Amino acid sequence: MLTVKSRAREGATDGGVVLDSLWNRRAVLVSGKGGVGKTTLSAAMAVAAARSGRPVLLAELSPDEGGPSTLAALVGAKEAGAKVVPVRPNLSFVRLSAAEGHRQFLEETLPVKWLADAALRSRALRRFLEAGPALKEMGLLYQMLTLVRRAHPDGRPLYPLAVVDLPATGHALALATLPRSVLSLMPGGPIGRAVREGLDLLQDPARTGVVLTSLPEPLPVSETLAMARELKDVGLPLTAVVLNRMPEDPFTPESRAALDRLLETHGPHRGQRALERLERAREARKRLAADTSVPQWGLPELALTGTALVERLAELLLPTLEEAAPAGGREATP
Amino acid sequence: MNLDAMLRDKRVIVLCGAGGVGKTTTAAALGVAAARAGRHVLVLTIDPARRLAEAMGLKENGPEPTTVPLERLYADGPHGEGRLDVWMLEPRIVFERMVRKLSATESAARAILDHRLYRFLSELVAGVQEYAAAEALDGFLADGHYDLILLDTPPSRHALDFLEAPGRLARFLDDRVISLFGPDSGRTGRLWQGAQALVGKVLDGIFGGGFAQEMRTFVGAFGGLFAGIRLHTERLREHLTSKDAAFLLVTSPEAAAMREATFFRDALQARGLPFAGYVLNRSWAREDGLAPAANLKPHANNSADNDAVLALEHLAGVEDARATAHRSLLDRLAEGLPLGALAIAAPDAGADLEDFRGLVNLGDALTVA
Repeated sequence: MLTVKSRAREGATDGGVVLDSLWNRRAVLVSGKGGVGKTTLSAAMAVAAARSGRPVLLAELSPDEGGPSTLAALVGAKEAGAKVVPVRPNLSFVRLSAAEGHRQFLEETLPVKWLADAALRSRALRRFLEAGPALKEMGLLYQMLTLVRRAHPDGRPLYPLAVVDLPATGHALALATLPRSVLSLMPGGPIGRAVREGLDLLQDPARTGVVLTSLPEPLPVSETLAMARELKDVGLPLTAVVLNRMPEDPFTPESRAALDRLLETHGPHRGQRALERLERAREARKRLAADTSVPQWGLPELALTGTALVERLAELLLPTLEEAAPAGGREATP
Repeated sequence: MNLDAMLRDKRVIVLCGAGGVGKTTTAAALGVAAARAGRHVLVLTIDPARRLAEAMGLKENGPEPTTVPLERLYADGPHGEGRLDVWMLEPRIVFERMVRKLSATESAARAILDHRLYRFLSELVAGVQEYAAAEALDGFLADGHYDLILLDTPPSRHALDFLEAPGRLARFLDDRVISLFGPDSGRTGRLWQGAQALVGKVLDGIFGGGFAQEMRTFVGAFGGLFAGIRLHTERLREHLTSKDAAFLLVTSPEAAAMREATFFRDALQARGLPFAGYVLNRSWAREDGLAPAANLKPHANNSADNDAVLALEHLAGVEDARATAHRSLLDRLAEGLPLGALAIAAPDAGADLEDFRGLVNLGDALTVA
């Protein structure tokens, strides 16, 4: 194997500061368009945090609650449902469920238990909660809020850190825009109150961080920049941008300049596509750095998939987490 | 059948696939190719990347399709017969038209459109994009103005929902929900009235009294459109199951995208819709025919040159491995295709796709494959 001086590595390490600050938040929302590796990153972050000793809840927010869960498979969770299941030391998994959120909400809201039971038995009402404007998202948000609030008898939070994998489809911001929509629909009443509390959590940069995942290509970067603007509009704290699958760069500045001279004389040779891709990746980093003010963090492209990829990425994240741990101060488990 | 023939013969081509696989770009490139081959084409798209929209000269959120200027469509030669219109679908506009079309009177339409809750409907009910796409497609197919319509579906597993009795909108306007909020259905009986009273109590408790009342008037007004919505859905289903229609599954080489493609293929088959094949995007499956990196001759004794050639060889090795993997993916897609369906690799256009020329090239490359 050829040993070449690699500059790709610098991309993998400049996330130290980012992780340190993410570490102390209650909720880390991982977002990004489809196909950018968002779910893999969510899994890797949760695995890394759990390995370094912090209790983590990995939560999936999927529009398709009934389908198979990629995220559950990536961390080896046996079940993917509304019930929190332990996966490995310090790591639990849950697939947020609107119906579960509605149930908890009704039980806490309605004055008497029999009324809540009756309400839950009404198929028409269940239907309405499932399909009515923003009510599904409200149920998901409510369950998330309930889990974040859950505490040990001595008051310490049961899940100090929740990593939430947001949906990839067009409405990645549905959760973020939901509180505003619901509040304009039903400003008063218990739903308004519950949603306002959710909004307080989501908009508080001390407790919530949003990580946008992207790829080092022009269109994904354009989309990421657009999402960053939308996050700002809804008041969600963008904390970091992750460039996934950064191609390995085998050049030094000198050898790169030499190659450009050679190719100018002799025309393109094989490796041209990889070379162009490298150029696009460099451009992507520059654009993101110029147009966002948050730290940028690159993950190398690896010839792995599935759980093997998750574990390897977690290993790459781990050193920075371990450095961050003493500063965090709250993660020690008794 | 190849893509060229498909673009010549079909009336509607629907592109499905996971998010981020390049559906919109593929739809645009195929639209360009079909128009340049002489057809009158509409590309219906949802939320295209801004630069792609600019490349096509697309106005954002216009109320009507935009015609691509002929100078742009035929930049490299004489103007042909074909025309290309593009519309970036605006669910709000589609919905408003639908309400007007389906309402018995203007005042019935106004009762819905002026209702406070209406403003939230198209924003809040998930599945609205899918439904609006279906409604718009049905409208354009019914008026017969275009030879070919290319529909770029919203990036979601529910992209085919519109073919069920219309998706989530339908569930929202489900008979049971309507009866929950709707005006007195004439049902009497103590049990029914007791249930209504209970539901009223619960709703007032959760949403506050005002909201439940608002919901009642709104659902009452909207409920009247339901029969019309069902009719449109039936008509669209007939169009889409006919031999004039083709569904193309767009995928990228990533495992998740390939899984989605399989999911869509099964979903199409389960619904009796004509699956026409796969487009493998963002892949390096095509040969680029360049000389090996080792052919580059470093200048004697120049270490930077030596390093450069070694590094390029290394990159070429990475590239080869990737290309081989992508070719075996393409082979796998081609296995067990139904008769007449195709599996083709699009060239990896990289950054080139942000101008119109790039779309022309991609369209040409896809149709000669």
